Amino acid sequence: MKDPEGVLGTHRVVACVGSGGVGKTTLAAALALGAARRGQRALVLTIDPARRLADAMGVELGSEPTRLSAPVLRELGVRDGSLAAMMLDTKRTFDELVMRFARDDATRDRIFANPIYQHVSDALAGSSEYSAMEKVDELVSGGEYDVVVLDTPPSQHALDFLEAPERLVGLIDSRIARHLLHPAMSAGRVGLRLFQRGTQPLFRVLEKISGMGFLEDLSEFLLLFEEMSEGFRGRADHVRELLFGGATAFVVASGPGAGQVDQALAMAQRLGDMGASVEGLILNRMRRWPDGADGSSVASARPGEWVGLAEALAAGGLGEADARRATDGARRCAESYLLQVKRDAETTAPIVRLARTLDGFVRTVPELPRDVHDLVALGQIEAQLFRPEGSGDAPAGAGDRT
Amino acid sequence: MRAPVSPQLRPLLDRRLVVVSGKGGTGKTTLVATLALAAADRGLRVAIVETGRRQQIPALFEVAGPGGDYEGIRLPEGPWAMRMEPYAALAEYLQLQLRIPGLVTRLLDQAAFHALLDAAPGWRELITLGKVWHLEQARDRGEPVWDLLIIDAPATGHGLTFLDVPGVVIQAVRAGPLRRHVEWVEAMVQDAERTLLLPITLPEELPVRETLELVERARGEVGIAVDRIVVNGVVDEPLRPPLPDLAERLAALPPGGAPDPRALVHAFVHRRERAALHREAIETLTHALDLPLTLLPSLESGVLGVGPLRSLGRALFAAEART
Repeated sequence: MKDPEGVLGTHRVVACVGSGGVGKTTLAAALALGAARRGQRALVLTIDPARRLADAMGVELGSEPTRLSAPVLRELGVRDGSLAAMMLDTKRTFDELVMRFARDDATRDRIFANPIYQHVSDALAGSSEYSAMEKVDELVSGGEYDVVVLDTPPSQHALDFLEAPERLVGLIDSRIARHLLHPAMSAGRVGLRLFQRGTQPLFRVLEKISGMGFLEDLSEFLLLFEEMSEGFRGRADHVRELLFGGATAFVVASGPGAGQVDQALAMAQRLGDMGASVEGLILNRMRRWPDGADGSSVASARPGEWVGLAEALAAGGLGEADARRATDGARRCAESYLLQVKRDAETTAPIVRLARTLDGFVRTVPELPRDVHDLVALGQIEAQLFRPEGSGDAPAGAGDRT
Repeated sequence: MRAPVSPQLRPLLDRRLVVVSGKGGTGKTTLVATLALAAADRGLRVAIVETGRRQQIPALFEVAGPGGDYEGIRLPEGPWAMRMEPYAALAEYLQLQLRIPGLVTRLLDQAAFHALLDAAPGWRELITLGKVWHLEQARDRGEPVWDLLIIDAPATGHGLTFLDVPGVVIQAVRAGPLRRHVEWVEAMVQDAERTLLLPITLPEELPVRETLELVERARGEVGIAVDRIVVNGVVDEPLRPPLPDLAERLAALPPGGAPDPRALVHAFVHRRERAALHREAIETLTHALDLPLTLLPSLESGVLGVGPLRSLGRALFAAEART
């Protein structure tokens, strides 16, 4: 049976995927912390995390990793290993790529000055995702880390980042780009009208709607980018090999919400179709009873026993009216929590079943009453993730229901 | 804790276009359905435009089977439900512009054109807004076909990208029909009489921070009106007035038995801490923004079906009356 420790120990990259709001950033940080506690040199690469968690870890937004300081590591129980964190600034990274792949300074300057690039580079299909994957590749190749835990980008469709390199190369390579480009290339000039008006209905159509200037800017943009396509293509192949060649383990995270579960199942399915290796599933923010507390007693308590509780509270020094009010309040909270525990186990049962099918690990992290933005809370999450399956009181039998 | 009263607050449904925006998991689609049902119950002709990959609204209204997708369907309670399909909308737009039968199909069938569109940013958002503009403009014997359009905006990690696009295109396209059309769309987005951005958030740290960023950009670059924030899933205090040492008193009782005091302590403390967390987040919103907040309670069960949507609507409009 797989466990998080084994998965982190046998992969260069662990990518944490899931829909928005499932706590990916925190889980990625906790996975990296777990690896570091077990002696690995771990890096967590995150995008736009909760600032207070970043503050607690002592890292800042930038394009280089920051190692957590020795006192912080000691506080986190890391002895032999190390932990670094990095928050990727994807806007800057894409400019860096252009600088790297542009043939010369003049080309680079023309790209930066092109109105299309200026307006779309942030939004260019998957450019931030592409940049993130570039950075991962670079960090893995660097050899400074045993494992890089990736908190995946908050894109609209959470798995788009996997295809971003291909789509970017697709844009540059596409035949429309060639149609637009080739007359100019043979003329050896940029900025010329790059297509033969009147001969190609396609461009007549586009031109009629968009106006002339726009197509000229677009042509120039594509032409300049094509010069860099070798660089992009080479890296895209590299990134694909990294993601799907066995070096990367995917961990799918979900919360107890029905929508989150649906998305997690769809993502696991799509990852499998793409040839990715899904090694584990994490159920985050689950309501569950702590060790030793008998939640079922809330449902089985008879009216007389609730009266007995009020009497015990009164005997403990509360006034009679307050004791009754306290009992009602505690009962309301407990019954509502009981209902949530039951519902969480039901909604997430398909994920537990899927983990069995995939032979991956499944771990349950309880909802903490407060946001996770200090190291103590992060350590608690880590402890939940790395404790053996079936220990404690993971939602009992959730996977056995059919 | 009450949000400041804004004297010019107009009724929520007194617009032509309401764009509901929030992260995934905030209850955005539920809010869209709730508003649409309330509008239909008041006799308004209302259309819902979803922008995700899957249509979710018909299921919320317990309509089984195909949900109409781009063509849309009329729900039994009156609202019209459609899902934006950018390629279909693009075909419709090009057909309207070019009026040459067959050409648009040939164009859209070209693999090269598809490759360009797959990678090109912004056009999906633009064509979506264009279609919304088209719906808003539609007239039948001089009367608007739709009194109210409710958009379930894409749940992006980048907040407003969806509404940013017209401004960007106006800068990048210098002249021609496209530019003129985008100017019409932008005018609609920026018209506070017609259009409202309705952000929905959860009372937690990250969603609140993102909401503050959203409002700042909405008022700045995009210029769309925001007049309130919906805060969903607010957990209230377990006891009012509180009994400060109740957790300790429960913990002092002998464990085990029924009800087990350890379970009671866990559930009580969890609720109390969640409520405190939510109160802090709401205070952050109140202090950072001069906007009224509409607080919706945390629901015991997921909202599905017309009955629960109506009760949520009552809670929503009761909260509106209080703001």
